[in-house]
Amino acid sequence: MWCDVPTSLPLSCFLAALVIGVVAEAFAMRFGLWTYKSRSFLLLNILVTFGLVQGLGVGWVIGGRQVFSGIAPVLFMVGAVMGILVEGLNDYWWHSWAWSDRPFLGIERAIDKAAFIGVTWGFVPVLSVALARLAVTGDIGG
Amino acid sequence: MAPGLTTADKIHAGILSIGVAGLVCAYWVAFFHSDLTMPHFVNNLTNPELIQFATVYIGFESAFPLADLFVAVTSALSAFYLIGRDAKAVLFGLIGSGALGFLALIDISFNYLHGLYAPAILLKDGGLRMEVIINISCAVGAFWSIWRFWGHPLRRAEDRYLRAPLIDAELAAGDTGHG
Repeated sequence: MWCDVPTSLPLSCFLAALVIGVVAEAFAMRFGLWTYKSRSFLLLNILVTFGLVQGLGVGWVIGGRQVFSGIAPVLFMVGAVMGILVEGLNDYWWHSWAWSDRPFLGIERAIDKAAFIGVTWGFVPVLSVALARLAVTGDIGG
Repeated sequence: MAPGLTTADKIHAGILSIGVAGLVCAYWVAFFHSDLTMPHFVNNLTNPELIQFATVYIGFESAFPLADLFVAVTSALSAFYLIGRDAKAVLFGLIGSGALGFLALIDISFNYLHGLYAPAILLKDGGLRMEVIINISCAVGAFWSIWRFWGHPLRRAEDRYLRAPLIDAELAAGDTGHG
């Protein structure tokens, strides 16, 4: 189940997740999907939730040295559960970002948008590990 | 107006999010990173028959992550909607709990048919004892959750809104629904 990987992968996973975070936030800003209460929450979300939690924490720690096809479902599972947790915390307690009234992929209610985006968080660690491995070794690793 | 969040709902949401989604994630992280979830016979490299069966066992267990992903995500979504007092909690709860029950029964069936519940084996193998506890918890938890969601007020929350005109019409026609 293990595969050989270079030691530069942790940083690569973190950076790959940051890139995904910047792209996701730019997309959301362009189409007005959600808005942050303050710019610092946007930066925190990209640095902490995308980079540290999903990229380094979930991506590298859980899937950094495993055969990709075997660990990918686990990465998605943990990423999505963490994502639903983050969206839940924001919806019910933090209120750091708010959903626009505009429908998103046919989804109209804010609670459904939060649930949908919560599940899509699962792609972040999967893509982070895949991108990091491709960038560092040129191979996804099984 | 959706019914309020009761203490039982809070416990149910906790079980779905931590007891199901969280522990399923933890199980698979441990599975890929340690021998914690493995029965001891898997590491018995002296008996050729056991080596062959260990290969089958690990192959069988390795097929579960994708299905468990479905269980973990639907259970987390159910907890998310339950805290928000939304009727979708029941939909995702029934899907997630049904899937968990299905997977538990497959695991129980495999273990029983291969004699892994035999008292002599269980006494020697701590890993298998943990497997029994997981099997029983998943089966009991899944069916308890289905039972609870089946009678949950949120299950009828949207239906009540949609059916109200029909019920009014039936009452106006003198049909009370009895005899």
